[in-house]
Parts: sequence; structure tokens; C-alpha cells
Amino acid sequence: MAPSRGLYHVQHTSHRLIEGGRNMALARRAFTSFSEKVANPANRVQSYISRSNNPYLNLSIEDHILRTSPPDSAILFLYTNRPCVVIGRNQNPWLEVNLGILNAAKSGRAKDTEPPAIGNVDLVRRRSGGGTVFHDEGNVNWSITSPRAEFTRDKHAEMVVRALRKLGIARARVNERHDIVLDQGHVKRDCDSQDTHRTPYTIDDGAGPRPLKVSGSAYKLTRGRALHHGTTLLASPNLHIIPQYLHSPAKPFLKAKGVESFSSPVGNIGLRDEIFQKYLQEEFAAMYGAGGKQPTVEIVGEEYLNIPEIRRGYEELRTADWMFSQTPQFTLTNYPTNESASSNSHINQTLTTPVARFHMTIHHGVIKDCEIDGPQSSKDTHDRIRTQLLDRKLQDIQNWSDLLAHDGQAAHPEVTMIARWLAEIMPTPQLPKPDCIY
Amino acid sequence: MVARLLVAHGARQLTSSAVRRPASFFPSTCQRWQKASAQHRLFSVSAAVKAKQYTEDHEWIELSPDGKTCILGISDYAAKQLGDVVYIELPQLDMEISAGDAIGAVESVKSASDILTPIGGKVVDRNGVLEEKPGTVNRDPEGDGWIAKIEVEGKPEGKLMSKEEYTAFTEEV
Repeated sequence: MAPSRGLYHVQHTSHRLIEGGRNMALARRAFTSFSEKVANPANRVQSYISRSNNPYLNLSIEDHILRTSPPDSAILFLYTNRPCVVIGRNQNPWLEVNLGILNAAKSGRAKDTEPPAIGNVDLVRRRSGGGTVFHDEGNVNWSITSPRAEFTRDKHAEMVVRALRKLGIARARVNERHDIVLDQGHVKRDCDSQDTHRTPYTIDDGAGPRPLKVSGSAYKLTRGRALHHGTTLLASPNLHIIPQYLHSPAKPFLKAKGVESFSSPVGNIGLRDEIFQKYLQEEFAAMYGAGGKQPTVEIVGEEYLNIPEIRRGYEELRTADWMFSQTPQFTLTNYPTNESASSNSHINQTLTTPVARFHMTIHHGVIKDCEIDGPQSSKDTHDRIRTQLLDRKLQDIQNWSDLLAHDGQAAHPEVTMIARWLAEIMPTPQLPKPDCIY
Repeated sequence: MVARLLVAHGARQLTSSAVRRPASFFPSTCQRWQKASAQHRLFSVSAAVKAKQYTEDHEWIELSPDGKTCILGISDYAAKQLGDVVYIELPQLDMEISAGDAIGAVESVKSASDILTPIGGKVVDRNGVLEEKPGTVNRDPEGDGWIAKIEVEGKPEGKLMSKEEYTAFTEEV
């Protein structure tokens, strides 16, 4: 940051400051005009692309567009995020994500399975519904905000399929889950080329290789507006490790309300970002533009954090409360209960270590109910642990062993086992620290 | 828990009595109302307030006869539009709310939609049944699928419509 030292630079410091101030003012004008442009009723078709790879920022710009764009407008927004795991609004991060490996590179923690060496992976809860997805630089996200009255859950996925087919991806189609898949059939059959829900390679369920998912959809609906956003795996270098991020070690022990992800085999389309973005922008213009005319594509970026509404949304997405307390109620149990005996029958096989029985109920991220019972540890110990855990925020627990230890002394072996087990399956990832981009 | 269920049940009856009353019952019901209003004028005024009112966001509210509380839910039309509801985020008890606030959310087919309140006050009850059976909102959005009970403070804000006006509004959209 610091300029190289020397008389020349010292003499020019004041000049540089003025220059910098002028640039800042220009930048500020640019993003003030962004808010005005988005909200201007005359701009019925708008197109943006982000040069930031910050998932929290891109989601907040998207939300700003949803909240402020004119009721009858259609807006395309394209962005690519740095590696991150994005869960749906009503999902459970402990259930959906392998939280222990997100900061693997940072903490240098290596487990029996070597964590993937792709560095820090952000954890994000988006505002739209749906399941958990992995993003990285090989994935292009598209988002379309349009009037709710004419909205269907398939129309924009169909639009993306049309763009892909023009790029020669003949196997792309929209499936019954409103996602885009590539058919894997070996035999080419006759098929209507305009049908975005069928390709010459479509085969019946179970009759051959499963289609590969290349794009997932999610929606946020407001009064008159509908936001549809989707991922597009063009060339992710991480396909082989994505499953590691999306398999939680706590899963066999959790019973959660809310929305659970539907797991699908994924694949890369094999296209370059620029060409896909260009075809998508054209297809969007063909769908919404007057006479198919393309709107000017505006570039947005980090400086948009200076727009107060975007900043607010950005800060909120980065809080522990949004990330964890927003989680629908769930229970953690290390033994089969009557209620869940059938669904938890695999617990016995998975669980080998703790001898004591442990159960807790978590609501809004807070431990609301907790029971521990071991054959060798005393009732006093059980009561103490119960008091220690009740009303505590799960996301605040950094060290289970310290928490369950007795006044700094070693806990009963049964309790130690429970603490170790909890640390293993319920780690707390580091959330992003407050940053100071501006 | 029992107390809450009782309250919930009471609230349910309150809402469903207005919605589900078969058309053929109307004459006799009206006569009863008329009789009552002749004896207690004030009561007839509040009875008029009790009719369900709808917002442009597709929520409904129904004020209690004394106008102190109201039940809030989402409309039949909205429930149909949303498709299969898989999760409902209910408002927290005792939460202070203002007109226009999002007091909860509905998720259906990968879509999140906010539940907005047209009236301010305090949340005094919520329909716990929806936590176990969110599909109740699809089955009976204007009866068993009610969302919350609010202790009303102030007047509703924004446009509120009668059933007829709301039907016309949804046909227009």
C-alpha cells in the first residue's frame, strides 16, 4: 500500500490526496447512480455483472435489486463467488455442512481424512429458499428479478437451457425440480428441439445413467416481485471434493425441522465464463428486451458497499445470528429414541464412542433442553452439565471440553467422551471478521 | 402446552366460524345477529369489524369482536400460488411488531416468501401445529392454517379489502 519512499513522493503527497479524493467522489457518484438507475421506472430491462467475488456482497446487491427495482421491470445480474457453501434460508448448517473443514487451511487442522487444500471456504445463508450448494470460481450465478404475476418456477431455467443449447450443449434440459441437468443417455432419440424439458438423450428413471445436475434454482418472492437465481457449473476444479463439504458428520444424530437438501450427482458443462455470460445476456434480452434489444451491461463491484442499504444487508448476512440463530428447531441425540427409532436405526452402527446418553433441543440456535445420563457418572454431574449448557448459544461454544470440565478439573471419563464426540460433530466455524473495505 | 393448545383451538374456531359457515346457514345466522344487535347496539358495530380483511400481499386478518386482538394468516389464493408449503417460520411469542413488518416466512418449492402484518401490536399466540404440519396452510389457509394472533395496537396500515374486493383484486392480477 505504502508508496516507495523518496523526496519525489513526499513532495507529491498532497497532490495524490486530492487526486484520490476526486476518484472517491467519482466512484461515489457511480454507485449513487446505481441505486437511482435500478429504481428508475423508465429502466424496464436492466443487466448487471459483478466483478466482486464476495458472496455476501453479491447476495446483498441482488437483494437491493429485488427490493428497489420498478414493479414491471426485468433485471439480470451475473456474478461468480469465491469458494463458499451457501445454505437455503430455512436450513440447518450443522446438518447440511461439514463445518469442521471450512477453515481447514487457516487453522491447519488435519483429521483422519485430509481436508481439501482449497483454503478458506465461506459459509453463507442466503435469503431465498431451497437447498445447499457449493460455489467456486468455476461456477457462474445468474439471477433474474421479474414481475411476480407472470412468473413461473421454470421460465428462467428454460431461458438458460435455450442459451446453453445455442452454445452446443444439446444434453441440457430443465428437470422436474426446476434444476438444469445434462442427460447421460447413450442413444440418441428423436425429440422436439424446442422442448426445454427433454433432450434426444433423456432416459427414464433407473433405465440408465442418472443425469448430472449442472444448475440449481432457488427463489425469493415478495409482494409484486419474484427473484429466481441459479448456479451454473461451467468448469469447477473442485467437483471431486464438493461432497466432502456437504456431508455433515452430525447428520445421523440430528432431527431437524425446516428444509433438507436433495442430493444430486453434479457435473461441469465445460464452457468459458465469458461466452456463457454473453449468450445468457442475449437470451435474456430476447425474452424481455423491446425487440430483443440488449440493455447496456453495467459493471458493479466492491465500492457498492458504500450504498447504505447494500451495506446493511451485507452486515446482516455476516452475523452469527443470521447464520446460526435463524436455524429451525432441531434435536441432537446419540441414542435411538422411540419417536425416531426407525429413522435413527443407523445410529448404533455410526456411534461407537460415548457410553452416556445425550440429548439436546436447539431453538433459534439456543440450547433449550438438555439431558445427559451415564451409568457411571453421578446425578450431580448430569445436573451440572445440564445447567452449564441450558440457554447457551450453540454458535458461542468454541470448546466443548472446557465447557464440560468441572471447575477446571478433568471431567468424568463419560463426560469427556461426550465432549470429544460433540467437538467432532458440532464444531463452530469462524465467521468472517468485520472487514474494512471502505 | 395444554393451555397453548386450548388457546390455539379457540382461535381456530374463531376463524373457521366465519370462513366455513355454509351459505345455507346464513339466513338463520343473520337473524341471530340482528336479534343480538337490537339488544346490544355496540356489539353489532364490532360484529361488522369482525369480517375478514385482505391485504395486497395476500394475508388476511380477522379482528376479534372487541377489536383488541386479531388472527392473521395467508389467503387461499396465496396458498395455491405458493404450492406445497414445507416450512413456516412462526413469529416469536411476545414479539412487538409494527404494521408492514415481516413477522415470519413461508417456504414452498425452493421459494422463501415473507409473511407481512398490516397491523402493529404484540404476538400473543402462534399456530404451533404448523411446526409439525406445515401442509395445513395448503389444506386450510383461512382456517386451521392460521399463523398468529396479535394483540392489536393502533390501526391497520395500507389497503385492506373485503373478501369480494380481494377476489376481484386477485382476478385482476
